[in-house]
Amino acid sequence: MAAVRYACRDGWRLIVRHWGMSLLTIFTAMSVFFIIGASTLFVLNVKNIVSSLENQLTIQAYLKPKADAKATEKAIKELPFVKETKLITRDMALERLRSRIGEQAKAVMLLGENPLPESFEIKVKNVSQVAETARLLIAIPEVEDIVYAGRVAEKLARVSSFVEKFSIIMLLVAIAASGVVLFNTIRISVYSREEEIGVMMMVGATSTYVALPFVIQGFILGITGALFASLLLGGTYYSAVTRLKEMLPFIPLIESTRLTGKLAFMLICCGATVSLISSLMAVEKFIRKASKPL
Amino acid sequence: MEIKFSGVTKIFQPDIIALEDIYFQMEKGDFVYLVGETGSGKTTLLRCITREVVPTRGQISVGGNLLRKINRFNLALFRRDIGVVFQSFLLLPNLTAFENVAFVLEVMGLPPREISDRVSEVLKLVGIWRRRNLFPPQLSGGEQQRLSIARAIVSGPSLLLADEPTGNLDNHTADEIMQLILGINAAGTTVIMATHNEYIVDTYTHRVVEIHRGRIVRDEEQGRYELHGSC
Repeated sequence: MAAVRYACRDGWRLIVRHWGMSLLTIFTAMSVFFIIGASTLFVLNVKNIVSSLENQLTIQAYLKPKADAKATEKAIKELPFVKETKLITRDMALERLRSRIGEQAKAVMLLGENPLPESFEIKVKNVSQVAETARLLIAIPEVEDIVYAGRVAEKLARVSSFVEKFSIIMLLVAIAASGVVLFNTIRISVYSREEEIGVMMMVGATSTYVALPFVIQGFILGITGALFASLLLGGTYYSAVTRLKEMLPFIPLIESTRLTGKLAFMLICCGATVSLISSLMAVEKFIRKASKPL
Repeated sequence: MEIKFSGVTKIFQPDIIALEDIYFQMEKGDFVYLVGETGSGKTTLLRCITREVVPTRGQISVGGNLLRKINRFNLALFRRDIGVVFQSFLLLPNLTAFENVAFVLEVMGLPPREISDRVSEVLKLVGIWRRRNLFPPQLSGGEQQRLSIARAIVSGPSLLLADEPTGNLDNHTADEIMQLILGINAAGTTVIMATHNEYIVDTYTHRVVEIHRGRIVRDEEQGRYELHGSC
């Protein structure tokens, strides 16, 4: 127990003794974790927008004049990617037309009866499945024609996939960068105490005893950087969301404090893990070298 | 602590023979002077005992531990039973005299109260208690040497290795340091002292082991300093 107390004291001493380096490390860790957090928020928002657009994206399947609507609906529901179907009767279609073009819809009635066909509005589970579903729908004999925003669907699918890949690369790069920064700081601290460590090992210090203060130092620096990054990110994000909502009210941005809280927690855990691993690696490498006899 | 060297040879790369075919034995509580010219192998022999140096050939046994087979953790525990007075003191300049001695006991995980008591006692014993809050560069050469001895003996080791403990000290200060080391030996600690100090070896006579070009050329009880290897 006393050994842990001495290690904590020495870890703190290391931070204070190299205060310039410590501040620089906290600042760098903060910047890196801020980038990680910001890119995560960006990805989450893009996914939220894409998902909201996906929900609005439907396929309209028009039926042949004497088609059996119930049998067709059953056939559509049996398709693999279909999430939801809604029958639009001829009257409903006319009503929609009226609400869209107003009194001009009366012109349609000049033909004597409602010429609009029955149709189904179909939602799919994922935007990337729209084109495939459309192909399957047209193969149903009762379906005369289909209409959907084909290019929009394809673009959304591409954006969604790109954002996912980009976010993973971004996170890996940022985590590796924070690890390298912390690794180097600890290595500099270790080398600045080279002589001291040599004497410690000569008087019987175990590797764990030698390593612990450096690991504590790295842990404190990493977690402090992540904590500051979380605070800064929270402040910046909510102020940005407030402004964006005024300028672009139709874009659905994430405002859940629970989600941002979870993100802050994730950043702090990430900071703790990365700092522990990188400090252990830095100090272990040195100790192995220092304890190797001639 | 008993020490036994059996046919120890150490060759540093590429082909510097530091020790050659050393057979050497000491019993618990013995006192031995290691003498020889600079570069003869005295320090290498001491470093073999702390396992800073591993022999190319031969076996070393210290206190029943076969050093070749000792692992990293057990080596740390083994070293706690050895006090080392380094040739260049190796005091930590950013710690006070008190802290320089205390950290040996911290390494062993002793509680602060016990550390304080033991460090105070040993600093009084070596006569630098009043200088305890000064940093090593603020101490004289003699005081630094006393501090170095205090650090070596504070854990109550069974073996004391002293590499030139009276180097660069005047005879009066060297006498005081020697009294300290002899006192420690009288309390049962085995002592190996590498020295060039003819005055000390001839005044406080003990067993003398002379090393010349890595080989033991003389081993005599109650010996004198005069170097035979250089003749």
